[in-house]
Amino acid sequence: MAVVDVHRFAESITCHAWSPDYSMVALCPNNNEVHIYKSSQDQWERLHVLQKHDQIVSGIDWSSKSNKIVTVSHDRNSYVWSLEGGEWVPTLVILRLNRAALCVQWGPKENKFAVGSGAKTVCICYYEQENNWWVSKLIRKRHESSVTSVAWHPNNILLATTSTDGKCRVFSTFIKGVDTKDSKAGSPVETKFGEQIIQLDLSYSWAFGVKWSPSGNTLAYVGHSSMIYFVDDVGPSPLAQSVAFRDLPLRDVLFISEKMVIGVGYDSNPMVFAADDTGIWSFVRYIGEKKAASSGSSYSSQFSEAFGKFYGSQSKSATANDASESRGGVHDNCINSIVSLSKAGSPKVMRFSTSGLDGKIAIWDLENMQEELGHQF
Amino acid sequence: MADFVEADNAEAIIARIETKSRKIESLLKQYKHVEALKTALEGSPPKTRDERCKSANWIVVHRAIMAIKDIDGLLNALDAEYYDILMKYLYRGLSTGDRPTCDQCLKIHEKLTERAGLGCILRCLTDTVNTV
Repeated sequence: MAVVDVHRFAESITCHAWSPDYSMVALCPNNNEVHIYKSSQDQWERLHVLQKHDQIVSGIDWSSKSNKIVTVSHDRNSYVWSLEGGEWVPTLVILRLNRAALCVQWGPKENKFAVGSGAKTVCICYYEQENNWWVSKLIRKRHESSVTSVAWHPNNILLATTSTDGKCRVFSTFIKGVDTKDSKAGSPVETKFGEQIIQLDLSYSWAFGVKWSPSGNTLAYVGHSSMIYFVDDVGPSPLAQSVAFRDLPLRDVLFISEKMVIGVGYDSNPMVFAADDTGIWSFVRYIGEKKAASSGSSYSSQFSEAFGKFYGSQSKSATANDASESRGGVHDNCINSIVSLSKAGSPKVMRFSTSGLDGKIAIWDLENMQEELGHQF
Repeated sequence: MADFVEADNAEAIIARIETKSRKIESLLKQYKHVEALKTALEGSPPKTRDERCKSANWIVVHRAIMAIKDIDGLLNALDAEYYDILMKYLYRGLSTGDRPTCDQCLKIHEKLTERAGLGCILRCLTDTVNTV
């Protein structure tokens, strides 16, 4: 097993983010607060409680260079927290939303952050030095429903979004005065703010969890219909692939190398997907040891009972017994988010953490799994 | 987009389904149940909104499903790409409430879920665009 550490912090965790040196974690225990824990000698100690939001904090991100935490909440607000004299001091960011904020991410250069919301808009916020506050610019067009996830391209200008209308879109977030025009030939970036570069219509159901590969060449996102979508060469003529898999849908993905993706979701067990040498993506394995999924024994006891009732007299008793307890992987409930523990922009991710509805955060290390994962890693 | 398929091609699709049903009848007479089901599932009108096309195809698929006796054999011979479509028709069968249909559909559902996993069921439930 690749798990290094598991700890239960609360009843349920909505989202989490790590400090620049990965010694502290900020998480939301499914309420309106953000708790910051520090690990010292195998114990986790709660250092700070950030209380400013009125409703559940739906997204947290911790910038690695400027050491600022940005939090967004269902109360339509966002705060940027800076550490001053050992205390975290909030600065309100007026997002101008009339619905909940759902997700947030710092851009690679950390001078901007993007917020996805239920108001079918994406807010791009940047710091205005003269007025000493954060300004929000809205991308109002295009989205037909809530924006569930946002992801920045390494060039700090392109932003990918997924929405519950099933589509994944890439926008340009070029802001005059904040971004410098990249005059390199061969990087044709639309220089108008809010311009949609492409729209991917691959999914018929809600889309979640979009991420760019380390080089920015490939996009991956998941659909609620137990499918994961990979798009290579994002641009005017993208190469899209839909991969259907056996089990329950995923919620979030992470690129651990240019050709390998880990997906986490309702199965409580991370799944590994890889692209072979011809560029075709497929499901490889679960990250932990898992029984062969051929017979009904891969379902948990809950399912077996339900299936028993469903099939009535026809059900085989074999399904009930052996299944369940063996399902005990690391997480007992849906895994909501997966966060990289390697420096942003590095081509390979060796460590990552997952958090879920069971209130646990698990840290996974892939150091010893190089051989098992194969040469794509 | 395929909404244009509506009025014009509805007749063409129904005609195609009639030919298909004749072919299936002959296959069933020869006890080639797997072939029959494959033919029925092939070319299921995906993007038509026309209820008549869907009903016509359902009747054909229903005939093939009811004739199946050896479920394991069927699933062994069926390619994985047909699993999702078969699952959708199974749910349509279950929704009829008709006792023999439901019995048969339930038997096949159990085996198909073992093979294709819960993802297959998810894809049926969430796909509101390509309904059967």
